[in-house]
Amino acid sequence: MTEAALEHARLQELVAAFADGELPPDEGRAVQAHLRGCARCRRELALQQELSRALAKEPARGASAGLRRRIERVGAPAPGRSAFLWKRRWAAPAAAALVLIGIAGAALRGRHGQRPVAEIPMIRDALADCRRVMGRNFPRKADLRAVAEGLQFPVHPLDRPGAELFSTWKTTLAGSPAAGLAYRWRGILVVQYAVPTELIRQQPEVAEALRGAGFYAASEQGQGIIAFLEGGSGTVLVADVPPEELRRLML
Amino acid sequence: MKAEPKRARFQSSTLPHLDRLVTLASHWADGQEAEDDVQETYTRAWIAFDQLRDVGAAFPWLCQILRTVANERRRTRARRQELVFITELEAAHEEIVASDAPSPLDELLARLEAGRLREALRSIPEDFAEAIELHDGQGLKYREIAQVTSVPIGTVMSRISRGRALLAGLLTFSDEKRAKRGVGT
Repeated sequence: MTEAALEHARLQELVAAFADGELPPDEGRAVQAHLRGCARCRRELALQQELSRALAKEPARGASAGLRRRIERVGAPAPGRSAFLWKRRWAAPAAAALVLIGIAGAALRGRHGQRPVAEIPMIRDALADCRRVMGRNFPRKADLRAVAEGLQFPVHPLDRPGAELFSTWKTTLAGSPAAGLAYRWRGILVVQYAVPTELIRQQPEVAEALRGAGFYAASEQGQGIIAFLEGGSGTVLVADVPPEELRRLML
Repeated sequence: MKAEPKRARFQSSTLPHLDRLVTLASHWADGQEAEDDVQETYTRAWIAFDQLRDVGAAFPWLCQILRTVANERRRTRARRQELVFITELEAAHEEIVASDAPSPLDELLARLEAGRLREALRSIPEDFAEAIELHDGQGLKYREIAQVTSVPIGTVMSRISRGRALLAGLLTFSDEKRAKRGVGT
């Protein structure tokens, strides 16, 4: 291939970006100079521009009135529920919405009371991890074997009808390795953390609750946290539903 | 942060993009599924809203969430049928740009019914179609598309260029060949 042909091949690749005004000035000038002497690339430029213009004129579908109403309700406080709750089109009001994110830690207090729930290290880190994964829109893979690999405790996924596992990730809670698992369940998102049993026992408020009721539950404005021991590991569940409802997911 | 001021900021930052998101969602899913994806997108966006630093970048951010939602449902692969015959489309495109004859595209585009061009995008490979839809349909810059689709900007450039070439090839593909292939535009 001649030098001119090579240059043509290189610049031809840039014609679309030139048409879209996306080239840096020096490359733009190079393409412009090439276009003056290359009929093929001029036709390519016209083709790219025509299609781009035609696509820009394509009609937008637009949101239905029902969808717009539902979207406008996102974040609206509901009686007795959190400001984060939001009803999906098909969901019962009590089964609405999502994980504990964006909640000021100081405002979160559990029924066990001595210190705010969000100051319990394991819970604090679970909430922070929730924010992190939600901010990244959840890891895209759901691989139980990979997430359990290297952990010194078993990872038991939730086994309840309708709980659909869609994401897994490794994380650390209060300095201990943990596995994060995210589910869709009855129109809400539920995040599960599998942790070592020792970690559960090291949190005084949690350990005290386990000795009494057999599980730890905390809530604020309808959002729930449940922690319990089962099958040689600890489980922490976080979702924006009351802990009573969340308990139905206990193993 | 108080919920209501946050909600007001959320609404002013995201609601103006609702129609565009529905249009984009329609690229990945049909009818009610597209609206469900948009609803899920707004739910996730509300929860992660504190992490949006630049409200001017709200639309690409929403696109990124929507794309993840759509991918999670794994619809894209299921929707796209065996309609891709790239070599022949590239040959058809080459006929247009190599010929001195007037381009048939102008007339073809003028005759095309509204909405059909976006439909035709469904017959070219997803990666190309997605980049074109985000740029030409939704007005994103190349760097924003790179961010939304997690690929280098050079890849975006290539996908848009090649995708439009394939689209041109598809539109000018002869009716006879199109019927044989079962392609509709």
